[in-house]
Amino acid sequence: MKLFINLIASCLIASISYAGDIKLQNPTTNLQAPDFSGMNSYGEMIKLSDFIGKPVILEWTNHECPYVAKHYNENNMQTVQKIARDQGVVWLSIISSTPGDQGHVSPKKANGLTNSRGAHPSHVLLDESGEIGMLYGAKTTPHMFMIDSTGVLRYKGAIDNIGRGMQFFDASFAKATNYVSSQLSNLVAQKVLTTGSTVAYGCSVKYNYD
Amino acid sequence: MQEGWHTYWENPGDSGSPFEADWSANEGIIVENVQWPTPVTIPYPPLMTFGYEGDVVFPFKVFRSLDSELESISLELDFLICADICIPESASLTLDLSSATRSPLVSEAVNNLPKNFIQTKSTSDQKKLKVTFQSSEPIDSAYLFPRQDNLFRYMPTQKLVQLNEDTYEITLPVLGSDISFFSGILSIDGKGFQVEEELQSPSNMSLWQAILFALIGGLILNLMPCVFPVISLKVLSFVSMGGDDHAKIRNHALSFVGGVMSTFLSIATALIIIRSTGSMIGWGYQLQSPVVVGILTLIMLGIGLVLLTNINFAAGLTTLGSSAQSRNDYSGSFFTGVLAVVVASPCTAPFMGAAIGYALLQPSFATLPIFLALGLGFAGPYLILALKPDWISTLPKPGAWMETLKQFFAFPMIATALWLMWVFMVQTSGDALILLLILSLILGAAVWMIATFKGRWKWVGMMITAIAVFQIFNNLPASSNEIKEDASAESWSLEIESELQAQNQAYLINFTAAWCITCQTNEKTAFARDRVKKYLAEENITYVKADWTNRNEDIAIGLAKYERTGIPLYIFWKPGMHGSKILPAILTEDLLIKSM
Repeated sequence: MKLFINLIASCLIASISYAGDIKLQNPTTNLQAPDFSGMNSYGEMIKLSDFIGKPVILEWTNHECPYVAKHYNENNMQTVQKIARDQGVVWLSIISSTPGDQGHVSPKKANGLTNSRGAHPSHVLLDESGEIGMLYGAKTTPHMFMIDSTGVLRYKGAIDNIGRGMQFFDASFAKATNYVSSQLSNLVAQKVLTTGSTVAYGCSVKYNYD
Repeated sequence: MQEGWHTYWENPGDSGSPFEADWSANEGIIVENVQWPTPVTIPYPPLMTFGYEGDVVFPFKVFRSLDSELESISLELDFLICADICIPESASLTLDLSSATRSPLVSEAVNNLPKNFIQTKSTSDQKKLKVTFQSSEPIDSAYLFPRQDNLFRYMPTQKLVQLNEDTYEITLPVLGSDISFFSGILSIDGKGFQVEEELQSPSNMSLWQAILFALIGGLILNLMPCVFPVISLKVLSFVSMGGDDHAKIRNHALSFVGGVMSTFLSIATALIIIRSTGSMIGWGYQLQSPVVVGILTLIMLGIGLVLLTNINFAAGLTTLGSSAQSRNDYSGSFFTGVLAVVVASPCTAPFMGAAIGYALLQPSFATLPIFLALGLGFAGPYLILALKPDWISTLPKPGAWMETLKQFFAFPMIATALWLMWVFMVQTSGDALILLLILSLILGAAVWMIATFKGRWKWVGMMITAIAVFQIFNNLPASSNEIKEDASAESWSLEIESELQAQNQAYLINFTAAWCITCQTNEKTAFARDRVKKYLAEENITYVKADWTNRNEDIAIGLAKYERTGIPLYIFWKPGMHGSKILPAILTEDLLIKSM
């Protein structure tokens, strides 16, 4: 009987995961962040839970997206990365673009971009299947997630308060409130952040939807 | 736009951006914000965006004053145009109004704008929002485009169900928090309608929770200022029973509980009956009638006098606190229970407001259990005494001190009477108050006669009082509906909240009444304090007062919006808050400022 129930259960689970129904998850802040593993630009497997003991920041990126481009062209993203890395944070830049779509890069190109833009990620993860992106409900580039050293998700959302309007392209980063850098010290202190979640803005993540 | 490319609606969905238009025109010409056409869903699974494909016209309304010149107006347009990838673009356009002709494209676009509102009725919980609407024609598909950007999960389709012949229901998954307000465009088979709805705050209280609140509220009610004197007398009578046999104590306690419970039951029944006639009524509503206030004044005064003169009626009022000598007469205990509930009506204890609000706004079957729980909480301590009569020996030993204390309790009773006189005056007029004072005098004389003379005179005293009460209340001057305006406060209206929110103006609303002693205490300990006044002025918070001393349907409806039927109720809102917030029922200066 028990075997029978198990059988039905596994069939159900199987049918759910193979229904072809791609679904974005929506992880809850101040709960354990979902664990994942993915390939970095040097071909190494990187696992989130390996970084327990250090805060981790996830940055969804796509170098061809105009929103991301402005952040990098004006040295804004690099500055935030530097501040975070200096405080012992592990910074993971994640590319969830599907092959052939905007922002998809080869490992070599990914490393080239890091060098040419003077970026400071700890690792660049190539998430071609979009698995990590959907696990975190990453919708836009950029889309930021902050995880504290115990593995608790503390922030999800936009990088700053400029917002999705067209004013973004004329806005000054210096005048904006950066949700990541302004909340770093509380992240390091494993505290509940004042701003725990915002609406991310930018280009859509180029998932494989065909 | 070429095939495969799109631009966005004002809420672009999961990504993207609406365009931004910056008009410049000479003085006398004003260009309004764009009127958004009905968008379509542009899915990029698992993401969803809202916008326009193909050719789209965005109409702007231009107003001019009569003396303005028809000149050129120019537009700086920044927009995002996307296929799989997005390109930010900008354009500078100029239009010479003097030579402009109306294009048929524009007329068509204006005709197709979603201008009409469709009436919706929605309910929401943590998971989904269900929107019902009516359509006389059959519907194949419908999609609600929400204007707010962080309330809903955007799905490729929204579940549409036909509830009956012309009523449909559409379901949207909610992102996590309760929805108190939403607006947007409802597209029914491609035709758009404006939607805007303020939800009845979703009842996040279950029946069990309401019953629990009622129990706690009832228990705390014992300590409220209107009830305390009556209750203390009851406690005193139990003390005097210290040496009595347990059966007697138990029977007295049970009689008291019986009095409390049957009064709550009668109130609940009365409320259900009155409510079924459609009137909006609530806790303490009976005090909106000056006759009830007047009679209550006399009862309070009467008890005070009886306590002072130390007379001993065989039954009724006077067994209060003096049951040590009384035989096996339990009607006194029963009546004290009734009286305790009657005098409690001007008081709302913490937790009680929410529970009674729930009781009265839910279907009738929920009303009775909640009122019974309230009674049970109120009578709880005595019920325990009935179960464990030997606990009475833990109370102090009876003695002469009790007589003194009993006389002392006359003063809180008389003080309550004075306060009720003030309520009576606010409700009616100075003339009517004089009549009530004369009645008080007659009552005093009657009590004196009963105390001093024997036999027949006692009855004469009672008769005089009864006739006087009847005569005077029968000829009461018409009650004045003019409540003295509080100069420092805005007066309340049913629309004031939406008006102030529309102006982005923070506000604090005080639902109060002269007969609500909890409200009056809060006035003194919080609202009237200089620090609070200063804070309101500095933070630019509009202070609104809704005075419910006299009957007022609008205020009852206003309270119902917060699932309340009684007062006090304090509402606060400031820009940036999604919905307004209910402040605690008992306030101090600090608490009030902190909770804002």
